[in-house]
Amino acid sequence: MDNKERLLNDINVIDFALVELTQYLDTHPYDCNAMEYFNHYARIKNQLMKEFSMKYYPLTKDLAESNKEWRWGMAPLPWEGVCC
Amino acid sequence: MQEYYMEERCDKYQVAMAYVPWQQFDKIYDDLEKGFFAGTIFPELNKPFTGRRCV
Amino acid sequence: MWNYEKRLQFPVNIKEPNAKLAQVIISQFGGPDGELAASMRYLSQRFATPYKEVAGLLTDIGTEELAHLEMIGAIVFQLTRNLSMEEIEKSGFDKYYVDHTVGLWPQAAGGVPFNANQFQSKGDIITDLFEDMAAEQKARTTYDNILRLVKDPDVCAPIRFLRQREIIHFQRFGEALRITQDKLNSKNFYAFNPGFDMCECCDK
Repeated sequence: MDNKERLLNDINVIDFALVELTQYLDTHPYDCNAMEYFNHYARIKNQLMKEFSMKYYPLTKDLAESNKEWRWGMAPLPWEGVCC
Repeated sequence: MQEYYMEERCDKYQVAMAYVPWQQFDKIYDDLEKGFFAGTIFPELNKPFTGRRCV
Repeated sequence: MWNYEKRLQFPVNIKEPNAKLAQVIISQFGGPDGELAASMRYLSQRFATPYKEVAGLLTDIGTEELAHLEMIGAIVFQLTRNLSMEEIEKSGFDKYYVDHTVGLWPQAAGGVPFNANQFQSKGDIITDLFEDMAAEQKARTTYDNILRLVKDPDVCAPIRFLRQREIIHFQRFGEALRITQDKLNSKNFYAFNPGFDMCECCDK
């Protein structure tokens, strides 16, 4: 795994924890322990998204600040996978 | 503040209704990546498929 | 409203095309227990849900199902990549190919096109939640059936992930039902529809 793949993997893993915790908190809205975990991972994901966008390509349109070329459009399509 | 998920008593279950037990969040996988590849961060909800036809 | 992240929720990297498998897995794209049906079911039901917690959950799970739809699309796309005409003919994929080439079109493995009959949005929260719990179990069983057919680990990994998500969603809908039960009169949960009737009818 190169650095880009590693960083994308970290984003996938952290966001997955956020999705799990979001749905858990939807039905357990007063669970402070879960909220602490959520807040912690949300902060980390934010940083990782900005880092990935600056180094490689934007993962959301809000991180697609562009000058010479439209970076959002240049980002690879996620369904192509590892080409054979 | 209604912490409705704290109580689990058999006598409160009625006929003509179905109930799913509350998940009591205890811990999540220390290795988040392990949870990611398993499909859940909660070890108690990890229920893999091991069936085989064997015919 | 929706935001999009240009990545799959779980990676799909399939090296070996397999048209036969694609025909089966497409059921989770456009089939009755597939991800599109799941997503439309939850995102439709949420409007008439009287309880904010439940509507919120339906929105969040419905959103995740769209990400799963995208994963299934990626799986079918990669399984039908670089197929020879011979492989298309031999695998029986020719029946789909003639109408769609290797485009993604939401249908079940048997050919039934995606349609709203594949889900219900009954406008009664208890009924809708039981529909949702059943839907998650049906999806899980479909993934069990797919796993018996799959030998390629590149395909197994995302399929196992998707299967496990169904189990989590089942638990969450079960909890949403518990929340609903706590808000209603346990002597008679069915006295009225909290999403429609303004109050319990009096006997007069």
